[in-house]
Amino acid sequence: MSTETTVTGSLGVPMKRKEDPRFIQGKGHYVDDLTLPGMLYMALVRSPYPHATITNIDISAAMQVPGVKAVITGKDLEAAGLGWLPTFHGLDKQMVLAIGKVLFQYQEVAAVFAESRGAAADGAEAVQVDYDPLPVVADPFTAKKDEVLLRPDRDAKTNHIYHWEVGDKDGTDKALAAAPKKITQRMWFQRCHPAPLEPCGCVAYFDTMGRLQFHVTSQAPHVYRTALALVTGIPEDKIHVISPDIGGGFGNKVPVYPGYVCAIVGALKIGRPVKWIESRTENLTSTGFARDYHMDVEIGATADGTVTALKVSTTADHGAFDAAADPTKYPAGMFGIVTGSYTIPHAHAEVDAYFTNKAPGGIAYRCSFRVTEASFAIERGMDILADELGMDPVELRRKNFVKANQFPYASALGFTYDSGDYHKTLEVALDTIGYKALLKEQAEKRRQGELMGIGISTFTEVVGAGPSKHFDILGIKMFDSAEIRIHPTGAGIVRTGAKSQGQGHETTWAQIVAEELGLDPQNIMVEEGDTDTAPYGLGTYASRSTPTAGAALAMAARRVRERARKIAAHLLEVGEADVEWKDYKFQVKGVPARSVTMKEVAFAAYTNMGQNEPGLEATQYYDPPNMTFPNGAYVAVVDVDRDTGEVKVRRFLAVDDCGTIINPMIVEGQVHGGLTEGFAIAFMQEIQYDADGNNLNTNFTDYLVPTSLETPHWETAHTVTPSPHHPIGAKGVGESPNVGSPAAFVNAVIDALSPLGVRHIDMPVTRDKVWRAIRDAEATRAS
Amino acid sequence: MNIQHSGEETITADKATVWKFITDPEQIGRCLPDVIDVTVHDDTHFDAVAQVGVGPVRGKFKFKFEMLPDPSGNRMDMKISGGGFGSAIDLTAGADVVEAGAGSTTLKWSGQAVARGPVAAVGGRVLDAQAQKLIAQTFANVRERLSAAT
Repeated sequence: MSTETTVTGSLGVPMKRKEDPRFIQGKGHYVDDLTLPGMLYMALVRSPYPHATITNIDISAAMQVPGVKAVITGKDLEAAGLGWLPTFHGLDKQMVLAIGKVLFQYQEVAAVFAESRGAAADGAEAVQVDYDPLPVVADPFTAKKDEVLLRPDRDAKTNHIYHWEVGDKDGTDKALAAAPKKITQRMWFQRCHPAPLEPCGCVAYFDTMGRLQFHVTSQAPHVYRTALALVTGIPEDKIHVISPDIGGGFGNKVPVYPGYVCAIVGALKIGRPVKWIESRTENLTSTGFARDYHMDVEIGATADGTVTALKVSTTADHGAFDAAADPTKYPAGMFGIVTGSYTIPHAHAEVDAYFTNKAPGGIAYRCSFRVTEASFAIERGMDILADELGMDPVELRRKNFVKANQFPYASALGFTYDSGDYHKTLEVALDTIGYKALLKEQAEKRRQGELMGIGISTFTEVVGAGPSKHFDILGIKMFDSAEIRIHPTGAGIVRTGAKSQGQGHETTWAQIVAEELGLDPQNIMVEEGDTDTAPYGLGTYASRSTPTAGAALAMAARRVRERARKIAAHLLEVGEADVEWKDYKFQVKGVPARSVTMKEVAFAAYTNMGQNEPGLEATQYYDPPNMTFPNGAYVAVVDVDRDTGEVKVRRFLAVDDCGTIINPMIVEGQVHGGLTEGFAIAFMQEIQYDADGNNLNTNFTDYLVPTSLETPHWETAHTVTPSPHHPIGAKGVGESPNVGSPAAFVNAVIDALSPLGVRHIDMPVTRDKVWRAIRDAEATRAS
Repeated sequence: MNIQHSGEETITADKATVWKFITDPEQIGRCLPDVIDVTVHDDTHFDAVAQVGVGPVRGKFKFKFEMLPDPSGNRMDMKISGGGFGSAIDLTAGADVVEAGAGSTTLKWSGQAVARGPVAAVGGRVLDAQAQKLIAQTFANVRERLSAAT
């Protein structure tokens, strides 16, 4: 019956990204591309002091600068009830513009609105702010002493923000005390920054209906709409948030920043559109940083290498405000994944967080809520334990892996791992890299005095928040959503509550829908980032798009299919029960020759639907029953120059298991990008503060982003263990390479240096640190 | 970032002449390197705008000066604060004014500066060298202007 060619097999196809033609031709549309008639530009006055009382702000000279229209200060906002905004963790608040004092260097102090960017910058320079410096607290260990109280605005008169713990403390302490072998190691996962290519920015204006039109670089447009309604008092229906193309986010574009509120206030006050695009320095110094966890790791084991206990005590530096966008019940995010891929019977993790005179944040950079820190702790810890035991790190891991038949696996720290086959993934990695040959080569090189290292990281991630019973942002449950409309010709439009910042949703979402409905993915348009049209969702971060919005999309497609089945039955002139979906089309059971395609059904849905409801569309809100647990086995091979400390990454192999793969080309691209970031974190990136609270990495001459010259060649492979609870078995992969690779790099360097007795070097493992470690080790051996 | 410097400069002028010069805000203001403008408010307070270049941080910096002459006439202290382009510099400086014989006077000076913001991020070696240069240039200017006047 059908005369249409059925489109089949869209899932798992390395389809080229539909969005790339516009990006590679420079035709992407970013916030800064928007120019409106009468638009003003905003510049922020920022504090050079990390901690100081503001004794006076004089705007008179700024108002004399040609083109300057207005200047607002913290007092102005406070008078309007807009002095503070809630942080996304929900348990703290943050000054929009400094009120009374500044708490970190580059904090926002005043906003200047002018006819041009240059005039706004000149105006900002002309604002005279008088400061009276206060003692600076530049690290959490000083903060812990409470000798200088940083946040007298809070009820609790201490710099201590929270204590969080999970696991059996007493049982773990006893198991550690009884362990025949034990290692302890302080590891600092340094403060770093996602540094997206496009900094943060917005354009705000009120339209002729008095409705706020807010174009912004947001990874979570709906959450922004709700947050802005809560902060400003503007009814949520009078707020329209649009996130156009975004030039990278990596978590940096999740929080609502003070500049956004100032731009909206400026647009309201002056009655003209306001654009604010932050500079690179502003991005690096004031927006969401990452990590800054000081972790004390203890692991106990039997003499044969069976791990019996793990304890991790962390001191966290959260900066001036508790702005880490963690779920309310999880102030340290998913740090409980610190038991990693191993069956550890006794475990305990605790985190104490402190305010310091540094920029707030602590959640960003391609990391699912502190999973990167946790993964680094256990993967470094396992290597240190292997060294202590004199075991091959690979053997130690094999011995302690959760076995494939143990899934779903309940970890000692409360997670139920959905699926995995860690032994298989590791074996694929070892075979692909040629592990035995590398060991042989290493032994020979060591005999010759050369420093060659092999680093292993066999990590397990936890991503895809919800479920809503556990996870929220500002009280909003972490579900996600999708809407599908199929047009009469079999083309369609898809909208989700997620928001791509480079993940390739325009392609992968189309592939999911095409797979479920037997349509051509080239004719499925994907639209995200517009709160007027997309269903409510929590956005894209923490590798949650595919586990949540992707799942919603598959389920919405199945709803469409169920509606289509009724129309197919009408077309096939049989009862609905006699119609089955098979080989990407509707068939009469037992009579495959009598069939109709989805494209034919779509046309009928508008032209010949019989007694059925016209149209073909569905919406699905999806609350995942569990998180997903992507995992991988990474191997780094490095050569270290004994004389200079230079580390050369000779090979790096990433074997990822992210469940069902939607588009292997996009997964490969995600892995390449994440590995490059992991490489940067391991070897070059750190946001440093001196003892006076000065940020020393304010631009790309001091905060390094690897170019093609430094970046190693990446080798990738996959195993596929589908998630049992995800509609298509997918798990998410965007953050895996950033989560898994830093430990592999550092393990490789330490493995190279282990003959000298070097046990640990904190990241970034720079040439000078390696050189110093070698010299110190040589001096120790000589003495 | 804290920067400390000290040194001494011998000027061919008697102590009274030197003292008169260094307690005159207009005179001392004009001795600042690359100074663009000096605005004197009273006997002990003046503002100065100077062209500053430290690594990539370049432009006009504005400074407020408070002069604290010791009534003994033997020591001058000064508090300086200001900055520009998001940077702030707070400086305390002092000089003992000592007769050096043969009509000469020695200024034994010391100073401590705290730099904050982009100028501090430039790095210790660059900033330290720049601070040393600025201080040396200031006293060289004092010597030159006094020599020209006497």
